[in-house]
Amino acid sequence: MEDVISVDKLQVIYSDGTKAVDGINFDVKEGEFFGFLGPNGAGKSTTIKVLTTLLRKTAGNATVFGHDISSHAKDIRPLIGVQSQDTVVDGDLSGRENMVLQGNLHGMRGKELDARVDELLKLVELTDVADRRAAYYSGGMKKRLDLASSLVHKPKLLFLDEPTTGLDPQSRAGVWKYMRRLNKEEGITIFLTTQYLEEADRLCDRLAIIDHGQIVASGTPSELKDEIGADAITLAAEGNSGGALTVKQVLQGIPGIGEIVEGEGGITIYAKNASTMVPDIVRAFDSSGLRLVSINLSRPSLDDVFLKHTGHRIRAEELVKPPSRMIGRFGRRR
Amino acid sequence: MSFAFETWVLFVRSIKKLIRTPILLFFALFQPIIFLVLFTQLFGSFGSLLSQKAGYVGVSYLSFATAGIVLQNGFSSALQSGTSVVDDLTSGFLEKVLVTPVNRAAILLGRLLSDAFRVVVQSAIILALAYLLGADMATGAVGVLLIFLIIAFFGLAWSGISLAIGLKTKSSETVFGLGGIVTFPLLFMSTALVPTSLMPSWMQTVSNFNPITYAVNAVRALTITGFDWGTVLEAFGVIGLIAVVTLGATLYLFRKVVS
Repeated sequence: MEDVISVDKLQVIYSDGTKAVDGINFDVKEGEFFGFLGPNGAGKSTTIKVLTTLLRKTAGNATVFGHDISSHAKDIRPLIGVQSQDTVVDGDLSGRENMVLQGNLHGMRGKELDARVDELLKLVELTDVADRRAAYYSGGMKKRLDLASSLVHKPKLLFLDEPTTGLDPQSRAGVWKYMRRLNKEEGITIFLTTQYLEEADRLCDRLAIIDHGQIVASGTPSELKDEIGADAITLAAEGNSGGALTVKQVLQGIPGIGEIVEGEGGITIYAKNASTMVPDIVRAFDSSGLRLVSINLSRPSLDDVFLKHTGHRIRAEELVKPPSRMIGRFGRRR
Repeated sequence: MSFAFETWVLFVRSIKKLIRTPILLFFALFQPIIFLVLFTQLFGSFGSLLSQKAGYVGVSYLSFATAGIVLQNGFSSALQSGTSVVDDLTSGFLEKVLVTPVNRAAILLGRLLSDAFRVVVQSAIILALAYLLGADMATGAVGVLLIFLIIAFFGLAWSGISLAIGLKTKSSETVFGLGGIVTFPLLFMSTALVPTSLMPSWMQTVSNFNPITYAVNAVRALTITGFDWGTVLEAFGVIGLIAVVTLGATLYLFRKVVS
């Protein structure tokens, strides 16, 4: 299959010296649902801005549909749709007007455009409110309108920058449904960024884990999880005043224990037969003078993959982001 | 062709936003209306001074000040127009437009034309009210159209400055504050409210270098004297010069932001 996106040693350094993207390589095949999983500030949005011709790269190469992002930006723009991290709808215009404007900017007009807009309004279930001002829409409705308006010109590749951040679980499930439908039924290649493990796990055919501007691991979700090769035991223990042993030392004394990773909120151990090891662990702590507070057994998740490669967990911001009126989106590039 | 279409589409979007928040138009018009109704009454006796010392024989102060009030409004409105580009920058709307193949110059032109249009609409309302209150309209309908043209160009030129400031500072408050600071000093040191001959001599010098003076003189000629082509062409010349500078700066800053 042909590469829709091809990125080679891409680097973006802001003028203050921040290496937002630090030499990443990846490619996205036609029809793929590809994801970037990483915490805030990992370089996800910067990568999208560069690939969508909004921001200049510092070094490296990247092509979209074979067109170089620097020299052939004009050839790329008609082929892509973008949903930025902040929901962007014009509240003074109706939902329909927002979409028609977007079509107009792609050179579409007349009956062909009207038909396309109707079709998309139906897809995202906004037909009933299409002629109301978008300012009166709920957060989820605005997100759906934004998504729909990025599809008016039938892009072959869709960039979705954290499309569900700040949405309630129900709206999130709705957006997932549309994204999957667009990819599977309409054959649109999707590049998604997210800080939600579940989102990446459920939707992506293939994903790259990104942290501090670098890709630390990539593959299909199951490949990545299999790589751990073991179940995860997460535990927390409290030290006793006279205890000579640390928690780690206690664990290291137990036969069959694999990798031990210390992180916030406890220690994670990876072991092949985790369930049979729990009694051993409990016994070891009983005789150590340390008090075992909790113990938790789980199949490896993408979070474990992330922890293994970066030494810390993804902390997704469950809270709604600050209002989009905040200044500085463009300011960062100077 | 597509350039014209894209400009049109973005122009219409701005106009729709304007029409759908009519309260903003009301706020913008409030001050000039106060000037027109109260200020000209307050200084009504100034009319005799105009007759005796400045050669405006038989001209009421209302008639005299109308041109100044119209341009005051045009000036301050144009200087606020940068706030809209800041809104588009911070809301992400500009970015959303920039990922489409739309011509970059069309984005700027659509915005500037809508600003000019807004200033003309406001001026039309002020002129109509002034006429109802008894102000002169020496050159009739053709003169009014010419006044609209002057004001449109005047608005375009000063919108350019405001957009440039907006693009540079990315702060509505700065655009707003700067507009507020600049408006009155420049207005008072022009012929907007008082003819040159009645000013202290240092202020006469400033006024002669003040671009507002030239636009005011042209509109004033058309409202109380007649088709004084010399004055009108002079106004277009001065406005044209400002426009070249401000629009050049805007284009430069816009390129920097979008590239």
